[in-house]
Amino acid sequence: AAAGRCPCRVLLARRGGALRALCGSVRGLAAGPETHFGFQTVTEAERREKIYQVFESVAKKYDVMNDSMTLGIHRVWKDILMHKMNPSPGTLLLDVAGGTGDIAFRFINYVRSVQERQLQRKLKHHQNLSWQEISASYQEDKFKSLGDSQVVVCDINKEMLKVGKQKAQHLGYSEGLSWVLGNAEELPFDDDKFDVYTIAFGIRNVTRIDLALQEAYRVLKPGGRFLCLEFSHVSNPLLSRLYDLYSFQVIPVLGEVIAGDWKSYQYLVESIRRFPPQEELKAMIEDAGFLKVDYQNLNLGIVAIHSGFKL
Amino acid sequence: VRCQLSPPQRPLQASAVLRRVSGEQKKEPLASSSQQQFDSHPTDHQPEQEPQGPRPSYTGQGGQESEDYESEEQLQHRILTAALEFVPEHGWTAEAIAEGAKTLGLSVAAAGMFHSDGSELILHFVSQCNAKLAEQLEQEQKLVQLGEAEKKPTDQFLRDAVEARLRMLIPYIEKWPQALSILLLPHNIPSSLNLLTSMIDDIWHYAGDQSTDFNWYTRRAVLTGVYNTTELVMMQDSSPDFEETWRFLENRVADAMNMGNTANQVQSTGEAVVQGLMGAAVTVSNAETIRAVR
Repeated sequence: AAAGRCPCRVLLARRGGALRALCGSVRGLAAGPETHFGFQTVTEAERREKIYQVFESVAKKYDVMNDSMTLGIHRVWKDILMHKMNPSPGTLLLDVAGGTGDIAFRFINYVRSVQERQLQRKLKHHQNLSWQEISASYQEDKFKSLGDSQVVVCDINKEMLKVGKQKAQHLGYSEGLSWVLGNAEELPFDDDKFDVYTIAFGIRNVTRIDLALQEAYRVLKPGGRFLCLEFSHVSNPLLSRLYDLYSFQVIPVLGEVIAGDWKSYQYLVESIRRFPPQEELKAMIEDAGFLKVDYQNLNLGIVAIHSGFKL
Repeated sequence: VRCQLSPPQRPLQASAVLRRVSGEQKKEPLASSSQQQFDSHPTDHQPEQEPQGPRPSYTGQGGQESEDYESEEQLQHRILTAALEFVPEHGWTAEAIAEGAKTLGLSVAAAGMFHSDGSELILHFVSQCNAKLAEQLEQEQKLVQLGEAEKKPTDQFLRDAVEARLRMLIPYIEKWPQALSILLLPHNIPSSLNLLTSMIDDIWHYAGDQSTDFNWYTRRAVLTGVYNTTELVMMQDSSPDFEETWRFLENRVADAMNMGNTANQVQSTGEAVVQGLMGAAVTVSNAETIRAVR
């Protein structure tokens, strides 16, 4: 991995250095302050551009790579997120950086099953009703198997949205689902609109996390919930070493073999290491105004779910 | 210790929900500033009174989100109280809590603050009932002290207190078995047991129990048994206004009263039996000795 890492880093660092010299004189303009891209140092504008390119190139193989890198465990993580959310029918969900729609589809399935259970319970109570009353109740339950629940998938990257829409068509999800192109740092929605805001494996790629959190606060209704599923820091030293080994030796190789893109997956692994740990992210969420902020480690900290409420 | 200055737009939004709570508390004096987690409550949620006040530090002695500890709890209580009216329809579930949150103008997602099996709702209800009972008993005691009412004999008092408490379950009686089973889940047992014992303690206190010996324990154990069994009988009682349950209660309380006498009788009987056994043992051993000697 060292051999694979160094040339890229050196090259880009040198280019970054030249750019930095240029930008030094025009500081404060569009280029913006410095930040990180993986283990490199770049300006904010560069970072946004680079990340856009990363996801543009991996979009088609995104799901396949997820399965192969995490050995399918990412499905379990997303299921756990859905169970934690426990949405009731009539919930309006905003899934930011939701690209290929994994969370959105799970949400639809969950709400459908809850709705069915409620319907069954209602029917059980209706055993002693007259025929007229029963037929009336059938009519009112017939229209939406989804109730009033809706999910809006928002992503900054057109390619990811395209893949998501294709998947939805392929799997047969149509009602209660909409796709919006938007930037997490500047959401194209009104205030106080959504019941739940989720961002699964996306906040790592946001350049100004604080802005994204503030936007999340803004678009949520009072009482609304913020949920963030993201890679986080492993404190267990043994697991941490194995995880590092796996991340830096195996994942970029998989990236090259399956998606033909070593650099993007190198970025992925590095960005995980650069992301703030659990407590720091919790503090940032509290800073945005959320209350009752808490996190739950999955797999000893490889992934963490942060939750906060707008109260 | 970190001190944060909030961005200007946040306090107004943040206080949209919680200000209603602090409105009832405006008369409360500011707690001593050494306790950061409590004094932050009044200063934060009255921005119109302290426009220059920065949002106080999050890190109190106890941890980071204790900043709005009081008002978060109060909001949770309000949500649970509002959720109670949906229990007959939805049961003791997260759905009822979600409906309750909706009536307060909050998103249904606020139900995510609570455990998904509805246990907090039940515990909240039980503690509310206990508080009501304690208040009722207090009022009755005041009347007796003022001489406006007669002091009831102990068995009558216990019967009335238990009946009053069980009557509070009547609006939710259909879903109460569900609640009982949830209260028996391992992670709920400490809290539910705590609530039960403090309620029984309250009843005995107002009944005038001042024992300081083992009687304290026996009295409470007996009354707990009476209460639990009566509750179970009430679950499957279909008589008008639960007459059967109150009759059952009367019999059990009478039994409990008699138990005092029975205990003495048992003790003397026990002594007699022991003496008899000793006598028999002595006789047998004498008989053996005589036989051996012969």
